[in-house]
Amino acid sequence: MKILVVEDDETTAGFIARGLREEGQSVDLVTDGRAALIQATGAEYDVLIVDRMLPGIDGLTVVKTLRGAGNQTPVLFLTSLGSVDDRISGLNAGGDDYLVKPFAFGELSARVAALARRPKALEQETVLRAGDLEMDLIARKVTRAGTEIDLLPREFAILELLLRRKGRIQTRTMLLETIWDIRFDPMTNVVETHISRLRAKVDKPFDSDLIKTVRGSGYRIEG
Amino acid sequence: MSARLSRLLRSMPLKLALGLVILFSTVSLISLAASYFVTQQSLEQGIRANLTQDLAGFRAAPNAGAVAALVEAVARETDPERRVLSYLAPNRRQYGNAAIARDDEGYHIVSLSQDSPELKGQYLALTTSLYGGQLTVARSRAEIDALRRVFVNILGLSLVPTILIALSGGIYLARRSARHVARVSRTLDRLTRGDLKARVGPVPDWSDDLAEIGAKIDQMAHAQEGSVEAIRQVSSDIAHDLKTPIQRVAVHLDDLSQRGDLDDAANDLLDQAKRELDGIVSVFGSLLQIAQIESGSPGSQFQPVDMIGLVSTCAELYEPAASESGRRLNAVVPEDVPRVSGDRNLLLQMLANLIENALRHTPDGTDITIDLKARGDRVILSISDHGPGIPAHETENVLQRLYRLDRSRLTPGSGLGLSLVSVVARLHGATLVLEDNRPGLRVCLTFPALQEPPGPLAQG
Repeated sequence: MKILVVEDDETTAGFIARGLREEGQSVDLVTDGRAALIQATGAEYDVLIVDRMLPGIDGLTVVKTLRGAGNQTPVLFLTSLGSVDDRISGLNAGGDDYLVKPFAFGELSARVAALARRPKALEQETVLRAGDLEMDLIARKVTRAGTEIDLLPREFAILELLLRRKGRIQTRTMLLETIWDIRFDPMTNVVETHISRLRAKVDKPFDSDLIKTVRGSGYRIEG
Repeated sequence: MSARLSRLLRSMPLKLALGLVILFSTVSLISLAASYFVTQQSLEQGIRANLTQDLAGFRAAPNAGAVAALVEAVARETDPERRVLSYLAPNRRQYGNAAIARDDEGYHIVSLSQDSPELKGQYLALTTSLYGGQLTVARSRAEIDALRRVFVNILGLSLVPTILIALSGGIYLARRSARHVARVSRTLDRLTRGDLKARVGPVPDWSDDLAEIGAKIDQMAHAQEGSVEAIRQVSSDIAHDLKTPIQRVAVHLDDLSQRGDLDDAANDLLDQAKRELDGIVSVFGSLLQIAQIESGSPGSQFQPVDMIGLVSTCAELYEPAASESGRRLNAVVPEDVPRVSGDRNLLLQMLANLIENALRHTPDGTDITIDLKARGDRVILSISDHGPGIPAHETENVLQRLYRLDRSRLTPGSGLGLSLVSVVARLHGATLVLEDNRPGLRVCLTFPALQEPPGPLAQG
């Protein structure tokens, strides 16, 4: 994947670039809005990571300008501002996702992965599979190794999300946003409690664990 | 309607008009009554003088027979409606044009309509004994009666138009000023709710003093808006200036944890540092969020929020966490509750904070109840538990930023949960009450219900 990082703070920019390169991505780095516009229009990128506050042309204007010119590359905004208003203005400007500083690299990496393959999520699959687990989206039935598993609607939704984004990490905040439409960080480990219930039904009665915990980041079902 | 009327009656211009009407009427009444009294006295004085003169004429007669003859003669030429002569002779015979029998002497007011129906009205009579008989001369008081009628007419003609004009003028002015006051008060309401763009604005037909008040309010609102804008700018600058270094610390810690050459002690320290950093980030975020909500203008981002969905989402989200510590999380939700105008995310966060508060500050196994109900045009949301509760003298303090009860110092949390609840409640025009749940805590939030026209659009 080819990723453009637009960030004026060198430490943060270096941290993002190093992390993404270690994952095998190709990363270009620019530090201001003007350079970002030139770079993004000159080359094809899979994802743009744009800090909202930049010297000169700010991140919001950069993305508005790109969208105005017909550039549809997915954009992940980075910001120090975290209020709902700021989030909405970012998404309205054409951003696809939003990450508030400070963030852990795992969160950023999971969101970049989710953005880059977003179009595939639209595919009309009716049966999702992982290992010996099968989810029938029409009959709303889940079976593992031939045994039917009875799931509550919310457990079904969590499992469906993990299956649809198979192989990719879903962070706690991503789950909160997608499953509950919640955009704040609860203090209690509510996501962990839901996952452990799901595991009790999906993993515990069987030999192997499908739902993996990625330490400090989130959860993943291997392909 | 009656409320509007009573408000109108209590308004200043109408009160002034009523007061003036009462004052003016009282003064008129007193002066008219005084002139009536004086005129009536002088008329009556004249009648008395005439009566004395009349009697003097009859006293000149030498004996009872002559008096009788004289009375008869004068009576024949006198209209009994104006003057009545009556002589009761010693032989009990009655002379004159009407019979007035009085034993006592002196002035009396008599009415003759009983014996002689054609003689209406009152008479002033003077009786005296003359030669063993009783002579009475009476003169009609019709003049005085007429005087009273004239005065009543004067009173009516002068007072009624005055009262009518003063009252209708008062009502007109009262309604006008009520409109003006309403405009000012609407603006102040909007400003109080945080809509700092609200202005009274210039109104062409306003009097100078009112226009001046309006202009002063607008000036104040303008200054307020400016300083709030400045605060917002400062807080977002602080956010940026502090968050970047915090991000760098997080990066360094991350880098450190990537190194494989750390021993267990170093890894423990690293984990500890990461947790502390998370704590800083969370307190910092909450403080900024509270400041933003407090300085922000609500309403612009508000949407109709389905409170039933909100409560269900939260109850469902926290149910596993609650049952892990042996609690039941009960949501008592009716089938239909009006929606509330608000920011769904903030309302969710508020409810989540209250549930987390209950989870954190009550012993394991303590049940938590979320109760939602509609009462008239209000929506009431309450979260209650039977834990240790909050002492009555502390209920004000716990809403303050970073305040924590002594016994809660060791439980995790920032001391910002309830202050966030408090500012979110204020933003939504909701009242927040912390009550004793006997035992335990009951947090009660009362929201104004969203007024929606009935129809398919209002559902969902």
